[in-house]
Amino acid sequence: MTELELIQGLRNGDENAFRFLVTTYQDRIFNTSLGIVQNSEDAEDVAQEVFIQVYKSIHSFKAESKLSTWMYRIATTRSLDLLRSRKSKKRSGLIQRLFGDGNEPLYEIPDFHHPGVTLDRKENAAKLFKAIAQLPDNQKIAFTLHKLEDLSYQEVSETMKTSIAAVESLMHRAKLNLRKILEKEQG
Amino acid sequence: MENNRNNRIDDLLGSLDNVQRATAPDFFYTRLKSRMEKELVAEPRKSWALRPVYILGVLLVVLAVNAAIIFTGSSSETTPSDSETMQSIASEYRINSNLTYEINE
Repeated sequence: MTELELIQGLRNGDENAFRFLVTTYQDRIFNTSLGIVQNSEDAEDVAQEVFIQVYKSIHSFKAESKLSTWMYRIATTRSLDLLRSRKSKKRSGLIQRLFGDGNEPLYEIPDFHHPGVTLDRKENAAKLFKAIAQLPDNQKIAFTLHKLEDLSYQEVSETMKTSIAAVESLMHRAKLNLRKILEKEQG
Repeated sequence: MENNRNNRIDDLLGSLDNVQRATAPDFFYTRLKSRMEKELVAEPRKSWALRPVYILGVLLVVLAVNAAIIFTGSSSETTPSDSETMQSIASEYRINSNLTYEINE
């Protein structure tokens, strides 16, 4: 099925087209979300939301970019939204702890182990993921798409609607920041 | 010492090299379909009458009607009552009726 046929099928409400879309892209979308939200249940939730949005908005998709680019864009946006809502919940939890009875534990993100990392690198990767979580949003997105999803700088730039030079700069700054964070963590 | 530390950081930074893509959980499609059925069925269809443009239009019409009633009502009702009041005051104080006429003009 070509991309054009797929888009046409989705616009016609063809269930086979939708099933094809999901089975083709589910791993890419899940992996992207997982890299950003660093939690399997949340990543599945985000991935589901991405496909629901595609289903609802396919009529407004102008096909100026590839379908995959559009979906990566939705996935990264939704993942960042989830991180923001997690942060605000954490903040309200802190306020509750300050003004409440003080027994509620603060929500802490546990060590994240990506299933695609080999066993010998598991511990190091968990430390790196902790550092990635501290990066500014745009560096986090660029790093995740390039490193985890193996997208080229060209594809990352299309997803982020920016230039290749800007992606190169984001990656350079991301690596510098990660080094700083890791050095600090290592003591 | 510094070299060891740098090597350690390099190892950490390289820990995601050649990482395999994570696969979506089993039955992802089934769960997605079930969520969509629930959400799309539960999502109430928005009536055209609830669109902001229609709500605003209705509000403007109501405001216009209210304004029209206030203005037409005040111009038709106040004139006779004002003149009646003036006349009663004039007769009470025995003022010339021309004064009332002048005030009304």
